[in-house]
Amino acid sequence: MIDIKLYFAILIGKIISYTIKIFRGGATSAPGLYALKIDPLLIKKLSKQFKYGSILISGTNGKTTTSRITADILSSKYKIIHNRQGSNLIRGIASTLIQQSSFWGKINSNLGLWEIDEAVLPEAVYNLRPKFIALMNLFRDQLDRYGEIDHIREKWIKTIKSLKEDTQLVLNVDDPGISILAQYHKGKNIYFGINSKKINLPKILQVVDVKHCLMCGSSLIYSTFLSAHMGHYKCSKCNFKRKNPDFFAENPVFKTDFSTSFDLCNQSDHFQLNYSLPGLYNIYNVLGSIAIANILKINSQTIITKINNFTAAFGRFQKVRIKDKKIIIFLIKNPAGANEVIRTISIKKTINLLIILNDKIADGKDISWIWDTNWEMLSTKIKNIYLGGTRALDLAVRLKYSNINLSNKDIYKDINYSINNLISSLNNKDTLLILPTYTAMLEVQKALFNVDTKAKWHNQ
Amino acid sequence: MAQPVIFNICHLYPDLMNTYGDNGNIITIVKRCQWRGIDVKISNVSIGQPLSASDFDFFFFGGGQDKTQIIVGKDLIQKAKKLIAAINNKAVLLSICGGYQLLQNYFKTKEGEIINGISLFDAYTAGSKERMIQDLLIEIDPELQNEIKNVYPAIEQSNCLTNLIGFENHSGKTYLGKNSKALGRVIKGAGNNNEDHTEGAVYKNAFGCYLHGSLLPKNSHFADYLISKALERRYGPIKLKPLDDSLEWKAHNWMVDRVRNQG
Repeated sequence: MIDIKLYFAILIGKIISYTIKIFRGGATSAPGLYALKIDPLLIKKLSKQFKYGSILISGTNGKTTTSRITADILSSKYKIIHNRQGSNLIRGIASTLIQQSSFWGKINSNLGLWEIDEAVLPEAVYNLRPKFIALMNLFRDQLDRYGEIDHIREKWIKTIKSLKEDTQLVLNVDDPGISILAQYHKGKNIYFGINSKKINLPKILQVVDVKHCLMCGSSLIYSTFLSAHMGHYKCSKCNFKRKNPDFFAENPVFKTDFSTSFDLCNQSDHFQLNYSLPGLYNIYNVLGSIAIANILKINSQTIITKINNFTAAFGRFQKVRIKDKKIIIFLIKNPAGANEVIRTISIKKTINLLIILNDKIADGKDISWIWDTNWEMLSTKIKNIYLGGTRALDLAVRLKYSNINLSNKDIYKDINYSINNLISSLNNKDTLLILPTYTAMLEVQKALFNVDTKAKWHNQ
Repeated sequence: MAQPVIFNICHLYPDLMNTYGDNGNIITIVKRCQWRGIDVKISNVSIGQPLSASDFDFFFFGGGQDKTQIIVGKDLIQKAKKLIAAINNKAVLLSICGGYQLLQNYFKTKEGEIINGISLFDAYTAGSKERMIQDLLIEIDPELQNEIKNVYPAIEQSNCLTNLIGFENHSGKTYLGKNSKALGRVIKGAGNNNEDHTEGAVYKNAFGCYLHGSLLPKNSHFADYLISKALERRYGPIKLKPLDDSLEWKAHNWMVDRVRNQG
């Protein structure tokens, strides 16, 4: 059948995409945006041809890393199409499809893997009719864009209620706001979580977004807090409680070189994993990927090898060596994520730190969250600290109230200047940790490239 | 200040009403007291816990999500009498967003449901479809400006003491009753309702507003005003020791300039 509308949409999308390439632009959403105006059903039509359907991965924190680990594992068996560039809105999905498609709409993949922004999950489900949906967590994030996390969850519940039985949900049982979603699903649910009651990271005061049972409104009782409102909980009144996960982590060990090990268990088996990603979040990211890979019948040995050799997604945890100096970048974008980063880096004895706070739209224009973040924890560890970004001054005030001493010369709004200064003042044996917000991360990449075009990007 | 000075803070529903970094207000009060050698005691009072309101010099009541706000609203009615008595006895209170709304006469949701408040402020809020999310800059009520000038010890900044800067994020529109005074006049942003240019409300030493951000670290003159008012009640007029607020003012002024120059 000839679908003129679709062919025309693909053609326009491709033309825009080539034009952007010629001018070396970075926008990955424009081709999809305009193509969807021509054929709003483009995603529906193109995604139908995947033999094994589509997988969606969403949540506040970890969706990029989880998608990348999952892609890495699944590519051993499937031909995957994946919005790897990270444009996780509807138009980003359309752009990816257009890029991979022939002029006649033929795509040479048999499985779609899509990282999806929390707010557009309903639309993505409508367009992609996924076979699997993995939901990682829900935290307050850029509230100036979304309103409240309760609103997001309500949207998700509505979407889940509309799912057919043959869709499987992959859910994080440690987040009560995620595990509750199983109650609304007619099909199968697969659960993952961390079973250990203690972890070797310092305790940190956390902002908790879920305090009450989402079934009956009574308070939740936690026997273990792992991070923010994630942990082992049960309702004080009704029978809502953390379920036993199908895939779980035991005995996690976080090492000072920012690698991690844990025992991966299911009901019948267990294996040790050893991989070079730091912190608690990445355990969830790894577990989510394993659950998906398992459903899609990848064998355990392949999964273990892939995870042990995985290197992080752009900027999430990225090691760079420039002029013999070691630099590690940790993206920070909301209090829950930033608190985990702080906790992760606080296992170091001394810290050289550059924090960059921007308040552009992609960062979130509201920077109040810096007051929900436990900078206090770093006050005794900091050897050198520098601040940058559009809201460097607000950050400086925050750190002043966390007992971290700063002088005027440590604060520069201009990122290039801070980075040049820092690199020249750093000893060769020191490691510089950079904590940028999203747009600051992009600027950091550019600035580092300017300093040394031969920079070794370890993890790209 | 011969006798040891203790500053007693009551944080209302800290476990439930803590969105948008409102905790920064408590951090700021605590630090600014400690830097002056004033001891601070914080008591957290939440659902089902008794409120011995007369023990406290300062109450803080932050914002929450809609759902938790309903749970808190029901409990607050039990505590209303004591809290209002404390305010009538000159205790200081700062409430923001959800907390501010619950201290009014009532909140009418978009669907028309009425959630009763405790009428500390003669005002009501009506849910709307518009979400007001942006930087919020106001000019403080002139009378209050004068009081702040008399109290804030770093006088070299006296020409900057006229504004408050913060970030608003609400869909409720607040309308003040005739017995109410606004905290200030909106210069940039929506404020109470995006219609009459008022922002916040004042009753005695109780203040309500939509300024997140957090408010007090961004506006050290207002933080010091609240501290001095709260101490005055127990210890008589107090001259606060000046602190080096140059960094706070740099951040404040930079943001005020940026917001003013926005189209």
